[in-house]
Amino acid sequence: MHASELETTEYGGASDNRMNSSAQPDLSIRLEQVGHRFGTRKVFSGIDLEVAAGQVCTVTGPNGSGKSTLLRIVAGLLAPSEGTVSVKANGQVRSADARRDFLGYVSPDLTLYKELSAAENLQFFGRLRGITLTRDDLIERLTQVGLRGRGRDLVGTYSSGMRQRLKYAFALLANPPILLLDEPTANLDVSGIAIVETIVAAQKSRAGGGLTIIATNEPRELEWGDMTVRVDAEA
Amino acid sequence: MTTFENAASETRVSWWQQTFALLAKDLKAELRTKVAISAVGVFTFASLLLLGLATAVLKEVPTIKLLGLSYPATLDQLLGKQQPAWDSPSKLGMLWVLFCFAAFAGLAHSFVHEEETNTVTALRLSMSAGAVYTGKLLFNLIVLLVIMLVVTPVYIAMTGMKIGSPFVFLAVMLSGGVCLAATATIIAALAAKAQGTGALYGALGLPLLLVFLLLLMNAAGTVYVENAPTLRIVKDVGGLFSFGVLIISMSAMLFHFVWEE
Amino acid sequence: MGLLMGLMIYGAFFYAGGALGFNASGDIARIVFFHVPCAILSSVCYAVGAWFAVVYLFKKYPRRKALEIDAKSGIAMELGFLFCTLGTITGSIFAGMQWNSYWNWDPREISIVIMLLLYASYLVLRAALAGKPEQRAKLAAVYALVALVPAQYLIWAITRIVPSTMHPKNPLFEKESLSLSYKIVLYSSFLAFTLLYMWLSQLRFRAYKVRTRLEGKRG
Repeated sequence: MHASELETTEYGGASDNRMNSSAQPDLSIRLEQVGHRFGTRKVFSGIDLEVAAGQVCTVTGPNGSGKSTLLRIVAGLLAPSEGTVSVKANGQVRSADARRDFLGYVSPDLTLYKELSAAENLQFFGRLRGITLTRDDLIERLTQVGLRGRGRDLVGTYSSGMRQRLKYAFALLANPPILLLDEPTANLDVSGIAIVETIVAAQKSRAGGGLTIIATNEPRELEWGDMTVRVDAEA
Repeated sequence: MTTFENAASETRVSWWQQTFALLAKDLKAELRTKVAISAVGVFTFASLLLLGLATAVLKEVPTIKLLGLSYPATLDQLLGKQQPAWDSPSKLGMLWVLFCFAAFAGLAHSFVHEEETNTVTALRLSMSAGAVYTGKLLFNLIVLLVIMLVVTPVYIAMTGMKIGSPFVFLAVMLSGGVCLAATATIIAALAAKAQGTGALYGALGLPLLLVFLLLLMNAAGTVYVENAPTLRIVKDVGGLFSFGVLIISMSAMLFHFVWEE
Repeated sequence: MGLLMGLMIYGAFFYAGGALGFNASGDIARIVFFHVPCAILSSVCYAVGAWFAVVYLFKKYPRRKALEIDAKSGIAMELGFLFCTLGTITGSIFAGMQWNSYWNWDPREISIVIMLLLYASYLVLRAALAGKPEQRAKLAAVYALVALVPAQYLIWAITRIVPSTMHPKNPLFEKESLSLSYKIVLYSSFLAFTLLYMWLSQLRFRAYKVRTRLEGKRG
């Protein structure tokens, strides 16, 4: 029964990016009255949200309030029980299947293949997206997430922090204009957190402006956002 | 920061490319871990042994052939006692029963593994449902064909099964392989999504397998008929093959619903 | 109420059937009044179940309506299971009386038993997913449609492919071989069974609606 609240909060003097003239009008995400239930249990309802290019939106709320579910819905992995989701990329509204070409998704429930090495994982997922990674490409991407030199190791031997870093390499394979991050710094050490912060900043300032949605309760991550949506658990 | 070009473009990767990428990945992982092949192989050889022991007493009924007619060669035959029907069509049927059980022991792995290790999300984000289905189907088909290739000669040596007309035999074996792989794949997808145990997988697959075996036994009969009319061969083997084709068609149309949430 | 009337007609013909069956080839043939409608109805039920499965998957409805469609599909399959069981039993009784053995591995017998297993597997799938209605609906619908392939082979192909069957060829469809009284009883028994099916499915559907309403109130 409880709707979310949409607040536009200004942090650290960041300007309202909707006035940024280089923001793409053809990249946006809009949610209208989105709600979801699992069986008879209602998770949330009445979420309205609009995120434009060059913006970072944070989604926050108590445990179990449905932040991850909301992100899955935006990613097109889950069809919402109510409401509509419009994801516009490259000027066109994309269906749930099609929008996956334009987004990168990082989440605790995302898992890569343990029986393959990091390099093999990236090569496989790259092939699925039509991207052929040369050895140099692989080195560069692994370096970007701080896994240089560990490319040949099986992911099964990775620590949880390393797996988290690899997820970013996975998400960034196609250099997507949209990033959806669920608990972005989970399991990460100080250098890992710095890497994520760099990625988020780069996404925002890229040509045309990228779009990021972060689901988190960490105050440090909430600071990265230009706007915040609060999802409250149903009574 | 990175200097990659924006690779998120309008052109989507071709479906075949994705299928073969998935197939290659599955084969590579399989060669590394050998889970599916072991499960299927161990089960098959154990069953073969069991079968060999159980049927050691059943021998091909000897007859004396004179002037194109068969005459009874043992006292039991002369007295008209019933002989156990352990002839080549039955042996072929038994071989396929073996393959059915083996398939249902090992071919679920392709989907169940993805569900258990939760790599489904990564796959869903990267490739289309249709390509997933085809990739998994081809993987199961390859595993099954490998097993068939290894087991059939051993079985022939063990039981003395005859091949009959080689062309028809090959057609029956290949059609059977396609049907079995198709059935196993879609049922595995369903059972994996239902988070079912092996029991659910077996329960769901059994009726389909029974129909498949009926069609197969019918086709197996043709293999051993000498100079069978081509029309009959086409009808029987075609009937078997059509089962596989229809299962694949229905699965291809419906897989999207199983795979997506 | 109209359906209750149907049930009364059904009851009435029960008795008439017994009396009029004289004109058929011996008393045994009376079982046809029960066996044939059951067997045919079980295939019809599958068709109904498959139809609702298609509607559920391919047309978008709001959640409550979609689950009702799934319920209708499930009910059709349950009743199909029921009629298939009755058909198998009546067929077996007939075989026992006609040829003195209750089971013969005849193709028709085999195919009806496999059909029975098919229904049973469907119900097992539904049972395994009891707690998750949407997933159950989706996966059950997919299974019903995939299993449509072997079902078609069972109903149509097996008896044509495997040449020898003891099952009577279909004397019912040859107009000359049926006497008038036999026909009357036969057609009305078709009608009676169909009405029975409709009545049962309406009843089950009403029970489903009541149950979901209760759950909604409690939840």
